[in-house]
Amino acid sequence: MAPLIPQGIINPELNLIFALMLGVGFGYVLEQAGLSSAQKLAGVFYGYDFVVLRVFFTAGITAMTGLLFMNYLGWIDMGLVYINPTFLYSAITGGAIMGFGFILGGYCPGTGIVAAVTGKIDAMLFVLGILIGIFIFGHFFEAFDGLYTGHFLGNIFVYDSIGISRSWFAVLLIAVAITAFIITQMIEDRVNRAEASLISSRPSYFMPSFLILALGIIYLFLPPERASSFREKPPEKIWENVIAGKHMVCPLKVGNQIKNGQDQLKLIDVRSHEEFGEFSLPGAVNIPVEEVLNSRWREFFRNGKREKVFFGNGAGKAAEAYITASRAGYERVFILEGGLNRLFTEVFTDEGIFDTDNRKQARQFFLDGGVKR
Amino acid sequence: MVDAGFFYSKSIKMNKNQSSYMNPYLAGFLLGMVLLASFVITGRGLGASGAAKSLVLSVVGSSAPEYASSSAFYADFFSGTGPMSSWIVFLTAGLILGGFLSGALGSRLGFKTERGPRIRVAARLWFALAGGLLFGLGAQFARGCTSGAALSGMAVLSTGGMLTMAMIFGTGYLIAYFFRKLWI
Repeated sequence: MAPLIPQGIINPELNLIFALMLGVGFGYVLEQAGLSSAQKLAGVFYGYDFVVLRVFFTAGITAMTGLLFMNYLGWIDMGLVYINPTFLYSAITGGAIMGFGFILGGYCPGTGIVAAVTGKIDAMLFVLGILIGIFIFGHFFEAFDGLYTGHFLGNIFVYDSIGISRSWFAVLLIAVAITAFIITQMIEDRVNRAEASLISSRPSYFMPSFLILALGIIYLFLPPERASSFREKPPEKIWENVIAGKHMVCPLKVGNQIKNGQDQLKLIDVRSHEEFGEFSLPGAVNIPVEEVLNSRWREFFRNGKREKVFFGNGAGKAAEAYITASRAGYERVFILEGGLNRLFTEVFTDEGIFDTDNRKQARQFFLDGGVKR
Repeated sequence: MVDAGFFYSKSIKMNKNQSSYMNPYLAGFLLGMVLLASFVITGRGLGASGAAKSLVLSVVGSSAPEYASSSAFYADFFSGTGPMSSWIVFLTAGLILGGFLSGALGSRLGFKTERGPRIRVAARLWFALAGGLLFGLGAQFARGCTSGAALSGMAVLSTGGMLTMAMIFGTGYLIAYFFRKLWI
């Protein structure tokens, strides 16, 4: 399942090789499309050549549609994909400054670099200008800080900001793109006084555009998105387990595992990060109960053959985590009966130091190697 | 329909030796596929200004370490493996290779200055430098340029990315009239 490198499916050492290959594709397409020409690029602002709008918009909606479908089918974990953070003021300021840069320079960084390597002298100066601009930003970095980091809204999505559903936004964006294709073609023909023969011999955008629109509309009418590519577990099944007490793991079993330094059971601490930082059981991972469904843990729960045991101080939080995880379809999850409290009052009593009020000592005990790992 | 009042008639001269450009919708589709592949393989989109930042960090960091160490902007240079061995730098190395390859295959390599019909070469070069400077500065604020913020941001439907995209093109259209002598 994608993304392949963050998931560990492809060796991270190959990361740079893939970066190089993707870059080659990127540069090749930009040059093939004619985006290494400042005159063609600037045409988008003066109506005589809309190539940049066509390439840019088509690329954007193609990648967007691809990601939406892959996410729907559970082929890509969007939790691991970089979502550009939204710093409201700096996004607006930076965009406006780049608008000036585009009109004055005639390139953007990607197209400018490609133009420079194909021999455009103006593009070489443009790229030099980029470096100077970055240096200037660095020089005044502290002064810019308020603007740069101000008004951070998180890694938010535009459809949430507008307040419509993701699928509707996607379809609207595709429709806007196709409308823009049609209108800009008309403007371009008028500005260039194109002859009828040229217009009729031009390759049509209708087929690809409407194919993508069709995909968007299909996406709109798909049944609600599944939380994972797993089937959710029906509540009745969970209820059956709970009634039969099959979801509990006896503290003695966990205690023995710790004493003997074994690891058949994977222990999951559902308390907060702070509590975990102060003290936890040896070998435990910390997944606070509110993070159980977090996509970064999905692989952890799905893979691995070991039984996973939730524990908290008592059994309350662990039970919440158990129900959440079970409903999401995660198999082989359990609760430590009575939590840490019972573990220390019933199992580790003979060591003397493990009464409930002495967690610090307990931590020392584990850290000092009093228990075999 | 938009009234194209200030748009001047213009014909693009095509050099007979150059092979023609790719259908822009096909190019866009292919670029979208490259972008999608980038997300699928590495979990992130494309970018171009990031490598320029890495270059500035490296050059300034190694030639004026005292100056660089006093600024939080250069902190990346002094930590980890160094900015030049990063993903974004290799991506840009590929961008250079791919652009050159395509230019060579299309017989479009050669030194020239791209300019509008009414602007002299020297003036065009100054404007190109100024435009680059502004783009470099703006891309730092927006945490990405047309590729990293606008295009990749659009693909993942990020509010910030799409806002930056709207601002780039919106500002461009707003001021295009005043700079028309540069291009038409």
